[in-house]
Amino acid sequence: MAPAISDKFRNPAYYMNRELSWLQFDLRCLSEARNRENPLFERLNFLSITASNLDEFFMVRVASLLDMLNADYKKKDIAGMTCQEQLTAILKETHRFVDLQYSTLNRSLLPALDQEGIVLIDSYKELSKSEKAFLSEFFETEVYPVVTPMAVDSSRPFPLIQNRSLNLGAMLSRKKDAGPGILNRDKNPKKGQKKGQPLEFATVQIPSVLPRVIRLPGKEESKARVILLETIIRENIESLFLNYDVVCVAPYRIMRSADMDIDEDEAEDLLKEIEKQLKKRRHGDAIRLEVASGIDKRLLQVLKDELELSDEEIFYIDGPLDLTFLSKVRKLEGFDHLSEHRYLPPQEVPELPDGCDIFEQIRKGDILLHHPYQTFRPVVDLVARAAADPDVLAIKQTLYRVSGNSPIVAALAKAADNGKQVTVLVELKARFDEENNIGWARMLEKAGCHVIYGLAHLKTHSKITLIVRREEDGIRRYVHLGTGNYNDTTARLYTDVGLLTCKEPYGEDATAVFNMLSGYSEPRTWNRLLLAPLWLKNRFLELIAREKEFALHGEEGRITAKMNSLCDQDIIAALYDAASAGVKIDLIIRGICCLKTGIPGVSENITVRSIVGNFLEHSRIFMFNNGGKPEIYAGSADWMPRNLDRRVEIVFPLEDEAVREKAKHILELELADTMQAHILQPDGTYEKVDRRGKDKINSQLIFGQEAAEAAKAARPKPQEMRIFIPMEHHEEEGAKEDAE
Amino acid sequence: MAIHMFAAIDVGSYELDMKIYEVSRAKGIRTVDHIMHRIDLGSDTYTTGRIARRHVQEVVRVLRDFKRIMKTYRVEEYKAYGTSAIRETDNSSLILSQLEQETGIHIDVLSNSEQRFLDYKSVASRGEAFNKIIKDTCAIVDVGGGSMQISMFDEDRLVSTQNLRLGVLRMHAQLSRIDARSSQAQALIEELANSQLEVYQKLYLGQKKIHNLIIVDDYISSFMLQHGIEYISSEDFGKYVDGAQYASGSVYERQYGISTESFPLLYITGVMIKAIIKAFGAEMIWAPGVTLCDGIVYEYAEKKKILPPSHNFEDDIFACARNISKRYQGSLTRSRTIEKISLEIFDATKKVHGMGSRERLLLRIAATLHDCGKYISMMNLAECSYNIIMSTEIIGLSHIEREIVANVVRYNHEDFVYYEEQELASDLDRESYLTITRLTAILRLANGLDRSHKQKFSDIRISLKEDRMIINVKAGVDITLEKGMFDGRAEFFEEVFGIIPVIRQKTGV
Repeated sequence: MAPAISDKFRNPAYYMNRELSWLQFDLRCLSEARNRENPLFERLNFLSITASNLDEFFMVRVASLLDMLNADYKKKDIAGMTCQEQLTAILKETHRFVDLQYSTLNRSLLPALDQEGIVLIDSYKELSKSEKAFLSEFFETEVYPVVTPMAVDSSRPFPLIQNRSLNLGAMLSRKKDAGPGILNRDKNPKKGQKKGQPLEFATVQIPSVLPRVIRLPGKEESKARVILLETIIRENIESLFLNYDVVCVAPYRIMRSADMDIDEDEAEDLLKEIEKQLKKRRHGDAIRLEVASGIDKRLLQVLKDELELSDEEIFYIDGPLDLTFLSKVRKLEGFDHLSEHRYLPPQEVPELPDGCDIFEQIRKGDILLHHPYQTFRPVVDLVARAAADPDVLAIKQTLYRVSGNSPIVAALAKAADNGKQVTVLVELKARFDEENNIGWARMLEKAGCHVIYGLAHLKTHSKITLIVRREEDGIRRYVHLGTGNYNDTTARLYTDVGLLTCKEPYGEDATAVFNMLSGYSEPRTWNRLLLAPLWLKNRFLELIAREKEFALHGEEGRITAKMNSLCDQDIIAALYDAASAGVKIDLIIRGICCLKTGIPGVSENITVRSIVGNFLEHSRIFMFNNGGKPEIYAGSADWMPRNLDRRVEIVFPLEDEAVREKAKHILELELADTMQAHILQPDGTYEKVDRRGKDKINSQLIFGQEAAEAAKAARPKPQEMRIFIPMEHHEEEGAKEDAE
Repeated sequence: MAIHMFAAIDVGSYELDMKIYEVSRAKGIRTVDHIMHRIDLGSDTYTTGRIARRHVQEVVRVLRDFKRIMKTYRVEEYKAYGTSAIRETDNSSLILSQLEQETGIHIDVLSNSEQRFLDYKSVASRGEAFNKIIKDTCAIVDVGGGSMQISMFDEDRLVSTQNLRLGVLRMHAQLSRIDARSSQAQALIEELANSQLEVYQKLYLGQKKIHNLIIVDDYISSFMLQHGIEYISSEDFGKYVDGAQYASGSVYERQYGISTESFPLLYITGVMIKAIIKAFGAEMIWAPGVTLCDGIVYEYAEKKKILPPSHNFEDDIFACARNISKRYQGSLTRSRTIEKISLEIFDATKKVHGMGSRERLLLRIAATLHDCGKYISMMNLAECSYNIIMSTEIIGLSHIEREIVANVVRYNHEDFVYYEEQELASDLDRESYLTITRLTAILRLANGLDRSHKQKFSDIRISLKEDRMIINVKAGVDITLEKGMFDGRAEFFEEVFGIIPVIRQKTGV
């Protein structure tokens, strides 16, 4: 039963709006782009990330708020804000944010690039003759064949502008001596178009099949002059509309809503429904328009009218639109020194040396993998080994987001081919990954796997693999439980933990999870795993309440938790309740945090820090002091309503001492981080740790070094190896041998 | 180490259940997987007498999947049983053959007593905990969809077992028809339950108190298990039930993690058990959380001699038969004499008849119940005995076995009707009928040897010599009556076994 919590802790004034909190996170990313201690290319990458983050935020969150507004949804959010109030605040903050993004680019990053010999050319005026010739040739042969100019007049409706696509809009005037041409004269001029001045609107999508960043040929490797594709097309725009004069041209980009709610009950075939939704997505309403800041008013008016956007939804951009291109700039050859090199590649896991029998190693004890400091290979190996092992009876796995050419998917297909029973739950509803997932699902089905397409109304977010193996003393189940997806690519970029175990209670629970995911009833009892949406939230509330009880009885109450987001009101209220009773709570929350710190009598005992570093913090680890016998859990769930109430999530306890120590160390080191940690202030903003008098601690860097040292220590010493050492003094040694 | 993979399937009233087990001498029984699928077959059967087509199709789909799962675990043997929903369906044989044809899974239908016996075995499979609890007065309350079985223990021994029409789904259907408000529900359930419990109390309990209850069911056990409770006092149990009286399913779902659809069934079971607690004066409740599948595997392991029996179930079956005989005022001394003589003959002629221990048990039961019909009519002894046995559940006996016993008792008193001569359609196959014939021949002979009901023989020794069975009896009194009655019975015996029984008397003290 969930413990009762006083309503006083639900006061909206004690909560931060989740969208504004999210914008704070993007600000933290942006601050890393401004951080001169980071290598230049990493700063470019951070700026690029802020741009793609903002896109997703608009497509999902802002779109959702607009839907609510249209549906006349009156309920206030956790912080007491109506939808309209939230939207107004978001747009205001976003405008400020975008200004900051471009001031970072223009005032800080572009000059810094210039200093390093990388020049971003904005106009053909800056080109040399030979460069112009190169681009002329490039346009004729590469670009021209793939661009499709589209015009608008009374006979041609406004074309469908694809979500997030980059476009050039132009106003055209027909040349006097030209024939009828491709456009008809519009007898009813549109708004912003003076009568008798026949201007026509035309648009060109910047083709996504071509690279956006083009490096101009040059002799010096240490210098790079680059130009963006839209600049090349803009400079050649006249050639696309032969009988017209181009009056003005400007880049623009629109964002459409992408939030989709599939009514799974009504959908006869979930797969088809998702495919349908994907097609629909292109038709979503426009919710944001980005235009170059100097855009011609007439051109802007056409776009405004057509897209039905308010002034607040239009963003005037002082620089190139869509900053995600910056992540491509960092791949320029010859500038490797501008990239980050302090972080080591994933290291070998000491418990799982190359060529070991992974099953035997797991039998020796639980193993905690810490990615990306440690390699994700054992997880891939586990599935691959199982696929080939004649004693393995079944492999079951949940797939949420997998990488292109995923070795795990290949191994699963191989296993099915080898006659194993392979059950794979492919979560089709993983946002923005639907098309990718449908592809995997079909491929796995063809290979003979039993593919389950998730549960109606619930997204399966849990990350679990079960291998059933017949051994001499009976069936043994090997389980991998993770905080991150089975994606070998993101496993190099996201920090996650994964547990490998063959303990019976975990195996039983894992079996029950897959039975449940296959549509069977939930088991009568669970041994170890905590599952959302079943018991997980209640269990967390009980664990928090238990700490409160310890504190009330004069013992140490303490909670340390690390997650991506915290916005569940029940959990936050429980944390306030515990903190006000004297429980010391330290939270490491990378993203959204609706909890406020420093509220007198409520949250003075709570600290919140966010680590934004080279890797994306992604693991969820929860530690409850439990009167000096800490209980430590890890899992796939954040403390968000969607994770606790609307998704299948798994949180698992860490039981073996070595594994627990490792998890504890992760939390402790991140709490000690002075380099990448941002501390939540009572006003809802974040500030970097005041380093005065403190050591420079970059937790991500240290984890990497520790992993490398552990891997090195576990490697067999040269004398232990079967190496034949050549003798340098043949005669003497030979003589010695004779003597013996 | 030899490990056997076994699957037990229970096609129940409210759930299709499959458990995969590893069975080995070294490690005993270990559950490897448990797959449950909710399907309300019971409501179909109890309201319309038939199982809806869509439900049959669903069962086919699930059984096919069960088969796939069995293959995954490389299951060597399985046993699938249908219980009351299948048993009470008008078209059960049609459905079973359809299921077998479409899935390849053969399902046997369990009689109520067989089903309850397996449930009982599943409880007994808990070993020490079970043996400890039955030391005090104890009853197993096995709540099914259509009925409830109450099995009473006294001093370690099962003494009676009775089936009451108090199933949880049946009760739910009754309440739905009445359209009871939730505030009335508890009183109504109690009223319906008490009407049957009062009769039961008068007949089987009297003033006796039953201190411990063992609960076998789908809802209370799950609920207790989920909350880590295996034992609970009657008082605390009552508090839970009362607390649920005004709660809606959604409140319970939130507080206790019970699904809204399960909540009414949990509540009904709770109220019925509360009524039993009151009627029996019970103090403590144990919910071991076992299922029919656990009984099925236990029986498999026992039969295959993989595991030694932890409890003598044959003694339980026989004790129940004795209790029935007692209820119908059968003579204990005479029953014992006939049982003794019958078993002597059975054991001495084993090589001839080839029957095993199960048939021996049936013979013991038939001997014990041989004259139960006298309670109703001395004239129609055969018919009345047959009817009493057929309408009394003997836990542990299948329907066919009960029919064998009833017929053996009947033909002990009246002319034997040969298989080919039967007028009415019978469930009995030729093999079962042959068993009846053989056991009847033995019982008749034994009965003849105590015709005067005076237990005249102090010692009986039986031996086989060529085509004769020599029965050496020691008797200090005149046995003319026995000798006179013997010839007619010996003839039938000879016809059945091809052996001529010969009686030889040794006089003396």
